[in-house]
Amino acid sequence: MEEKTGEKKYTTISIPTHLAEKIKKRIQGTGFTSLSSYVTYVLREVLSGADTESTEEFSKEDEERVKARLRSLGYLD
Amino acid sequence: MKLREDTNYIVSGLERSGTSMMMQVLAAGGIPIAYTESRKPDEHNPKGYYELEGGKIINRLMQGTFPFESYKGTFIKITAYGLSYLPPRSYKIIYMERNLDEVLDSMEKMAWVTDEDREETKQSFKKLNEKIKKELRTKEYTDVLFMNYNDVLKDPHTNVQKVCEFIGPYQYDTTKMIAVVDSQLYRQRR
Repeated sequence: MEEKTGEKKYTTISIPTHLAEKIKKRIQGTGFTSLSSYVTYVLREVLSGADTESTEEFSKEDEERVKARLRSLGYLD
Repeated sequence: MKLREDTNYIVSGLERSGTSMMMQVLAAGGIPIAYTESRKPDEHNPKGYYELEGGKIINRLMQGTFPFESYKGTFIKITAYGLSYLPPRSYKIIYMERNLDEVLDSMEKMAWVTDEDREETKQSFKKLNEKIKKELRTKEYTDVLFMNYNDVLKDPHTNVQKVCEFIGPYQYDTTKMIAVVDSQLYRQRR
């Protein structure tokens, strides 16, 4: 069935119950309002990281170069 | 008037990319901002840095000890590298960009150095910028407005309107916000 333009589509993913319980405890007091929103966030982070790796990776060497410059500017100890 | 109390507001971007100018623009508009004066205005930022903890907020973010709860509903400045350490929360972020050679010129001037490995440094900051932008686009509960420093200077009116629309309903003093964009500060022009 075709859905309206702009409407978000969702699907169901199964995860072990004990893992779901752990996540519920972990998100207490954070900005996450549901298990689904947390799992979506984590998956996006993972995919974002994977995409970055496949393009121009911000390597450890890059990071050290950036940190050295930030130290010289007083932004980092 | 206050901004949303359930949201943390951030001005970000690479160092020397116009983050201080954006904080000044927000302050002039009557928008709540938080900063300390631990780093005094100088020839590099004559109108002030508008930073918390002398700009060393990144250390607190890396340690996970920055008190975001205390800054809800208020803009703070966190430069690009620090955004990698944002804990999951609701954010609205104005991310400043600027011609990268201008950014590096300004950094070298501020640090009193001549970078012998300028091209490598440029590539590293370019990759950092792209990495952070990519993360922001996919981050849950995060709204982002990408602003270009050079464009703001060229057309303050249009760009201040964009900022106001992004933040949402508020009693802005747009005349004062526009007046802050002082082209005399545009010293690292390429």
